[in-house]
Amino acid sequence: MYAEARLNITFAGQNGDLRDPVSFDATDTDLKQWAAEAISTGGVAGIDAKEADFADFVVDRFPAKEDLPNRLILRPKTPFGV
Amino acid sequence: MSIEAGVLVDLDCEPIHWHLPRDRNTGALPDSRQLWDIIWENRARVMGFAHSHPGSGIPGPSHEDVTTFAAIEAALGKRLVWWITSADNFVELCWVGPHKLAYARGPAMYEPTWMQRLRDESGYDDVNAGLTK
Repeated sequence: MYAEARLNITFAGQNGDLRDPVSFDATDTDLKQWAAEAISTGGVAGIDAKEADFADFVVDRFPAKEDLPNRLILRPKTPFGV
Repeated sequence: MSIEAGVLVDLDCEPIHWHLPRDRNTGALPDSRQLWDIIWENRARVMGFAHSHPGSGIPGPSHEDVTTFAAIEAALGKRLVWWITSADNFVELCWVGPHKLAYARGPAMYEPTWMQRLRDESGYDDVNAGLTK
């Protein structure tokens, strides 16, 4: 039995949750693949269907606390430097 | 020794947020969820982001830089201006395509008013002071 989580995705100026819950312990690779597949078919409410590349995105993981469930946030990386 | 710094800039070319995280160092601004949150909150008025590189001369974007540029633009759904400064020069970069990482320098004719503060926050004066001793 795995801990369920909601995957929130930001892409192309839009934001939405993957329709189905995922495992909180899913790998970043799997999460990015599921997100890309879902967006390509219009399967994320709030994000228009399009091809998506999450290679340079990262996953923030927030364990459940108080009234908040497990959350996974897929967002762009933001490091800079030489 | 200089330390990298950054600033988020609005459509009037004015600073929105000075990015001076505790974990910045001489060669990097680490990944920051807070920075992304601020970019997203201000997405309607963001023009671009500037950061500093160590040393002097004409700076060039690293692979880390251009992949970050591309990722942020993909998330926002719009193209931005990316400035990089050194102790004595700066460049402004935009995506020119068609490749995902095809960023090129613009004319950089006018130095933004916040550029000097960015250099101050990067500690270049300390570097220059050391060189002149």
